Amino acid sequence: MHEREIVELLLNRDERGISELMLHYGPLMRYIIAPILSDARDREDCLSDVALRVWDKIDSFDDLRGSFSVWLTAVTRNAALNRARGVPAAESTEDIPKETPSPEPTPEEAVLIAERKAALGRAIDGLTSRDKTIFYRKYYYLQSTSQIAAELGMTERAVEGRLYRIRKRLRSKLGGEGYEC
Amino acid sequence: MSADKRNILLDSDFDLLLKKSLPDAPPEDVVDSVTPWKKAMDRVLIGFALGAVTFNFAMLNYILPAIGMVMVLLGFRALRRENRYFGLCYAIAVIRACYFFPLLVLNTTIYHGVVYGSDWITVLTVVNLLLQFVQYYCLWRGLREVREKADLDPSSGAGVWLMAWHTVTCLLGLVGNVGWIIFIGMIAAYVCIICNLFKLSRESDEAGYAITAAPVRLNDQALAFIIALLLLVGAVCGYVFGSSYKMDWTVSQNTVNSNIEDIKSHLLELGFPEYVLNDLTAQDILACKDAVQVISDVTDHPVNDGRTVTTKTPGEEGSGIDYYINHHTVYDTKELKITGVAVRLPAEKESWLIIHHFLWTENPGFFGTECIQLWPAYRDIDGWSDGGVLSGRLLYDKGGVTYTSPYHYLGSETYESDSIFWGKQTNTDIFAAFSLPNGGTNHRGYISYSVSEGQDMKIAEGYITDCWINYLHHNKCLQYPAYTAIESRKTGIWSENKKFKLVQDALQFYVYDSGGYIIN
Repeated sequence: MHEREIVELLLNRDERGISELMLHYGPLMRYIIAPILSDARDREDCLSDVALRVWDKIDSFDDLRGSFSVWLTAVTRNAALNRARGVPAAESTEDIPKETPSPEPTPEEAVLIAERKAALGRAIDGLTSRDKTIFYRKYYYLQSTSQIAAELGMTERAVEGRLYRIRKRLRSKLGGEGYEC
Repeated sequence: MSADKRNILLDSDFDLLLKKSLPDAPPEDVVDSVTPWKKAMDRVLIGFALGAVTFNFAMLNYILPAIGMVMVLLGFRALRRENRYFGLCYAIAVIRACYFFPLLVLNTTIYHGVVYGSDWITVLTVVNLLLQFVQYYCLWRGLREVREKADLDPSSGAGVWLMAWHTVTCLLGLVGNVGWIIFIGMIAAYVCIICNLFKLSRESDEAGYAITAAPVRLNDQALAFIIALLLLVGAVCGYVFGSSYKMDWTVSQNTVNSNIEDIKSHLLELGFPEYVLNDLTAQDILACKDAVQVISDVTDHPVNDGRTVTTKTPGEEGSGIDYYINHHTVYDTKELKITGVAVRLPAEKESWLIIHHFLWTENPGFFGTECIQLWPAYRDIDGWSDGGVLSGRLLYDKGGVTYTSPYHYLGSETYESDSIFWGKQTNTDIFAAFSLPNGGTNHRGYISYSVSEGQDMKIAEGYITDCWINYLHHNKCLQYPAYTAIESRKTGIWSENKKFKLVQDALQFYVYDSGGYIIN
C-alpha cells in the first residue's frame, strides 16, 4: 500500500489506516525509537503512543512541507523523547541526559532557540552529504556510535573522528572559534 | 580546573546546545539515507549489474567487474549478520574475490596463458559459476527472510529470474556462438531482472529498517583502498617480474679448434659476414664445412615510429597547382640489423644452410618477449624440403664479456590463425620465443636451418628462392592482459599494432645449377 493511501485512510478516520501504518511504517518507527529507549516494554508502549499521536494529529500533516516519512520521523522521535523524559533519571539512557530540552520553553527561550535553529541549519547546510547524515544520526536520531559505524561501514573510531571534525567545523561556523578543543 | 576538563565540559555544553538547536524534522535526503538497508542493497545490486557487463574496450571488461566485485563484497559485509543467507552470500563474495583478484594480477604476467590453459583453472571456473548461482539463490532467500521478518509479502520473483538467467547464460556459454539476437535478448532480460531487483529492494525499504547492520573492523573506503593497493602492487610486480621469459644466460666460451678455424677462414673467403660468423656455435660452423658458395644480404630496419617530414614541391607551370605538400616518415635511427646468409653445401642435390641473424645496434629501450617466425623456402615453393637442421642461440655483451643463452623456445609449430581477410587458417612455421636483458649492448642472435631439394623433386632452374624472417619486438611494457610476442603473432597482425612492432625481412636469391645469385 502506498504512502498516499495510508494517509487517506487516516484522514478518513478509517481504522485500517492504523493497521497499514503499523505494517508498513512499524519497522521505521521501531528503528527511530530503539536508540532513545533502552527498555523493550517502553519501546512497545512508545510505539502505541506514536500510533495514537499519528491518529490524533494526522490533520497537521502537510505533504507540501515534506514527505509522510519525514513527518512520521519527527512525531516518533518526539514521542520517544517525551517518554524518555518521564523515566526516572537513574534509569534513563546515556543518550538522554537529564538536560534534555524541555518541550515548553519560555517566550524568550523560544526566540533564542529559533535563532539558534536558523544558524545551526545554515551551518549544517555547509556540511557534506555524508557528514550531514552522521550529524543527524548522532544528534537527531540519537544513535550510538557503534550503530552509526555499522550502518555506514565505518569503524567506531572513524565515526568518532568524523564527529569531532564536524563539531569543530560547526563550532567555527557558529562563531565559536574560541572554543577550540 | 585543568584545560582538558574545561574543554570536556565545553564539549558537552556544545553537544547540548546542538541538541537544543536542531530543526524539528530532518531534511528529506537525510530521512531517506538513514537506514541500515538501502546503501548495502544498492551496492549488492549495482555490483551484480557491473559484474555481468562486458565492454571490450578501454579495459572496461576488467574494471567494471572488479568494481562490481568490491561493491558486492561491501554490500554483503553490512548484511552478513542479518540472516544466514546473507551470511552465506558474504562468504561466497569473499571466496569469489579471492579467486577473481589474483587472476587480475596474473593477467599482468605472460604466464596467464599457461594458467588459463590448465585443468585446475577450468575446475575453478566451474566452481566460480556454481558459487555465483548459489549466491543468487541466497540473495533470493535472504530477501524473502527480510520481508517475512517485517510481516510483508515475501515474494521476490526477480531473484528466481536472476538464477534462471544465470543458468541459461552458462548453458549458452557451453553452446558457444549464439548469435546477436539471443545475445541482445539475454542483455535485455538481464537489465529487466536487475531493474526488478531494484524495485523489489525499494519495496523492501520499509522492511529494511528491521535489519541489523554488522559492525566492521575496517572502513569500507579503507577496504576498497587496500584491495586497489594490493591490485596495484601485484600488477607492478607482475609487470616487473613476469613480463619476460626466464633465460639461461652464461658466459660465452670460444672453442679453439684448428678445424673450425679452417672452416671459418674458408667461409670468410667466400664472403660470409664476419660478425655473423663469430656468433655461430662450433656445431653450426661445422655444418658449413666445404661450403661451395655464400650469399648474404644485410638490411637495417627501424623499430621506432620515426618522424614526419613535410616538404613543399612547386607545381608544374600551367597545371594550376602552386605546390604539392608531401608528408613522409624519416627514420633517424634504424635499430635492428637483419642479415640473411645462405651457404650452399656440397651435395648431389641442391642443399643450402640458411642463417637469419639479427643485431640490435641500439637498445630500443624495452625488451619484454620477442618472437621470430620463419617462413622457409619449402613453405611456399615447390621443390624444396626441410633439411632437418634447426639451431641457434642468443648473445649480448656486458662489461666486455659476451653472454649467451639458448632460445626459450625454438621449434616448428602448427597453429590456427584467424584473419578478417583469409578466415581461419592452419599453418606450420618455425618459431623462436625469447627475452633479452634490458641491460648490456649488442643484443643479437641467429637461427639456422637447412633446406634441400626434395626427393623426386627438382628446383626449377632460375626459380626464385626466398626465406622470410618475421621479427616481432615487444615495445611497450604496459599491456593488459600481458601477451607474449609469440601469442600475439599467432593471433594475427591486428593485435600487434601498438604493443608489438613487426619487422619483416627476406633473403631472396635465384638458384641455378651454376650457383645462387642474390636479388638486389
